[in-house]
Amino acid sequence: MAIKKDNSKKAKASSINLATLKRQRSLLIWGGIITIYGFIFYYLPLFGWLTAFQNYKPKDGIFHSQFIGLEKFKMLFSDESFIRVIRNTLAMGVLNLVATFVMAIVFAILLNEIKNKAGKKVTQTISYLPHFLSWIIVTGILHDMLSGTGIINEVLVNLHIISQPINFFAHEGYFWPIVAFANVWKETGWNAIIYLSAITAIDPSLYEAAAIDGAGRWGKIKYVTLPGIKSTIIILLLMNVGNVLNAGFEIQYLLGNGLIQKVSQTIDIYVLKWGISQGDYSLGTAAGIFKSAVSIILILIANQIAKRNGEERLF
Amino acid sequence: MKKKKLLSLLLVTSMFASLAAGCGSGSDTETGSKADGDVKEFTAFFAVPGSEINDDNEIQEKLAEITGAKCKETWLTGQTAEEAIGTLIAGGEYPDFIEGGNGSIQLYEAGALVALDDYLDDYPNIKEFFTEQEWDSLRQDDGHIYWIPQFSNIYGEEKECTHNDEAFWIQTRVLKWAGYPEVRTMDQYFDLIESYNEANPTMEDGTENIPYTILCDDWRYFCLENAPEFLDGYPNDGSVIVDPDTLTVIDYNTTDTAVAYFKKLNEEYQKGIVDPESFTQTYDEYISKLSTGRVLGMIDQWWDFAYTAGDAIKSAGLDAQGCNYVPLPITIDESVQNQWHNSGGVVNVSSGLAITTSCDDVEGALQFVNDLLGQECHDLRFWGVEGVDYEVDDDGMFYRTPEQRLNVADTAYKASHVCSYSYFPQWLGTSRDGKNAMKPDGQESEFFEGLADDVKECFEAYGVMTYVDMLGTQEAPGAWYPMYTYSSTMTTSTPGGTAWTKMGETKHEYLPKVVMASDFDSAWDEYMEAYEACDPDSFISEMQTELDRRMEEAAKYE
Repeated sequence: MAIKKDNSKKAKASSINLATLKRQRSLLIWGGIITIYGFIFYYLPLFGWLTAFQNYKPKDGIFHSQFIGLEKFKMLFSDESFIRVIRNTLAMGVLNLVATFVMAIVFAILLNEIKNKAGKKVTQTISYLPHFLSWIIVTGILHDMLSGTGIINEVLVNLHIISQPINFFAHEGYFWPIVAFANVWKETGWNAIIYLSAITAIDPSLYEAAAIDGAGRWGKIKYVTLPGIKSTIIILLLMNVGNVLNAGFEIQYLLGNGLIQKVSQTIDIYVLKWGISQGDYSLGTAAGIFKSAVSIILILIANQIAKRNGEERLF
Repeated sequence: MKKKKLLSLLLVTSMFASLAAGCGSGSDTETGSKADGDVKEFTAFFAVPGSEINDDNEIQEKLAEITGAKCKETWLTGQTAEEAIGTLIAGGEYPDFIEGGNGSIQLYEAGALVALDDYLDDYPNIKEFFTEQEWDSLRQDDGHIYWIPQFSNIYGEEKECTHNDEAFWIQTRVLKWAGYPEVRTMDQYFDLIESYNEANPTMEDGTENIPYTILCDDWRYFCLENAPEFLDGYPNDGSVIVDPDTLTVIDYNTTDTAVAYFKKLNEEYQKGIVDPESFTQTYDEYISKLSTGRVLGMIDQWWDFAYTAGDAIKSAGLDAQGCNYVPLPITIDESVQNQWHNSGGVVNVSSGLAITTSCDDVEGALQFVNDLLGQECHDLRFWGVEGVDYEVDDDGMFYRTPEQRLNVADTAYKASHVCSYSYFPQWLGTSRDGKNAMKPDGQESEFFEGLADDVKECFEAYGVMTYVDMLGTQEAPGAWYPMYTYSSTMTTSTPGGTAWTKMGETKHEYLPKVVMASDFDSAWDEYMEAYEACDPDSFISEMQTELDRRMEEAAKYE
């Protein structure tokens, strides 16, 4: 009897499951497709990480190459230039993150303060257009602007701020700021869109209440707008922290030259140089693994900090 | 509502109609190609920059009629050869033909290439292309031949008018202004440029001159780096100097001449003669600078600027101002005999046209290469169609009318009409008819007719006939020549190869610093310290081993 009861219960449970399945079949199908997609494109390629632990030769393939354990990683970390590219990548990544992040928020708030609707729309549209330019164009513009006869030097010389044109791409000290500036120029408008939409979601009555309490413009920004978009800011910050090591490839690759290679090369360029150009695919993969590992750790740390402070977090 | 339905019906019908029409034309072309008699289509990738031609290119069609095959060629864009080849290897799929440039050895090591030696005897035109000794020099360490170097092979008598290689170039207007003086040394060269620029700081339209610029972009930094070997009177061994008497390898980076050369550049940089943008400009910026006619002089290889900037100068009519470049026989001291120009074809064994494992029809591919080397095809490739691209006079000599000459410099015409298969094997020298040159560049009458007036005037003043005469010709120095064919195949798998890579990086960084330094001596010492840290000796000793090996190999044929 007890068994029978149990069975019927089970049957009931499974029939409910079946019904649920049936009801949610479109959800399941779509979810399944996405899962398969994710598996094929995100997880299957990880199989290639095996090459980092081999002396991989394309001729022998992944199954017949010699297994060498961690030797490629040892090589990496004993290579002075790899340590240098980590430094460059981190430095440029952090600079980019801080600069683009702060600028986007400031820009969004400023834009929000514009009363003239048409002016606001036009400014916003113009500001995010550079996002659609490819880096090859942006670096071309930069190269022209910053060249010895470019507009920046002309202006500086004519204003008698400097007597001789500065060769911006010949000095190591200028490179990181130039990269950060380029990122700010290209992405500020685009990144501001998400903050602007977050700002529009703030209840207008809060502003009215603040006004009644005697808050001026600055007070409204400080006590209503900023707290209103705080959660958006934190989520975006968390996601961007994981991207710090993706400090870029194109811009450094296109703007760098032999003279400043010590500060211009990033991990991605290193991977290209050793992994592809020199044909040491194993070393390139090892450097790639390192980059992924550090990115994951960075995200975990940032997420943990957010959690501890009781803020929004990714997981 | 009814209207809407009608509209959609109309739309649907028209869509079907267009679909049907599309299918119809599709099947039309299919039968069309069958009527052509099954033209084989090959694909090729060349790891050098180049321009693609149109799909319906006229000479390509003509060649297809003769050979029964055609080849879709693609070129390097915005990458280095090694990057492009490395990406292909990682993907594991190749075009039928490939020229890997500096990445050739990687292709071989990846097992991507088909060994050609067993096939060669069946293809007389290919077989004839090299001597037995030259074929043997192409064997890789597994004893097989994988690629066919395409260039510098001379049929019959050598016919060469253009100095296709490296030199100190100078604009004819500078020489004319000074009354065509004899310029033999580096000091004289810079003195001349300096005094000209002082007297004429601008061009006719007021644009400021750039007295001397140095191209330093990526692999093209040879324009800065390898002059010391030439200044000492050695030929272009590329990576080292070889002493022909003792047969020892010498490092040209540390010679007294190297110090003198960079010190001179440093002085000129401080004086403002060397373009301050030299070390940061890209190749494109360099070419556009040259194209404006502003640059008075530079070191470069002819092929690196003549077909781009040279043509631009021509089409802008800047030759009237004397903006064309001529080479000068410059060495460190007048007593040193220059070897900027060497006679005799040099086989660059380090790369060439190869057939990949992805090619289904190796015999067909080789037959195509073989056919392209036949005289009829060769004339079509380089001279064009008789009566359209060139004329034949009563003596059987080929010549071009001025209009035809303009046509071949026109990019649109080139894309639609000309198909030289420029990275397939080809001949220099004299045609099989014993009269004409294999290529128009080598046809003396044609060469003179095509010369710009300022260059003609300059040649007359110096009493020479060609670019080559400006420098004089030296015999190729010895059986080892040139050594760069070895250094460009070195990889980081040997200590010497690693040193070679590091030396390149160090030079890339420090040579510009040395030239720009306010205190040359301390900058040079710093450079030398960094340079020695690369362990150049291990590179030199591997080069010495290769030199000895080459001399031993050559002795077998004597």
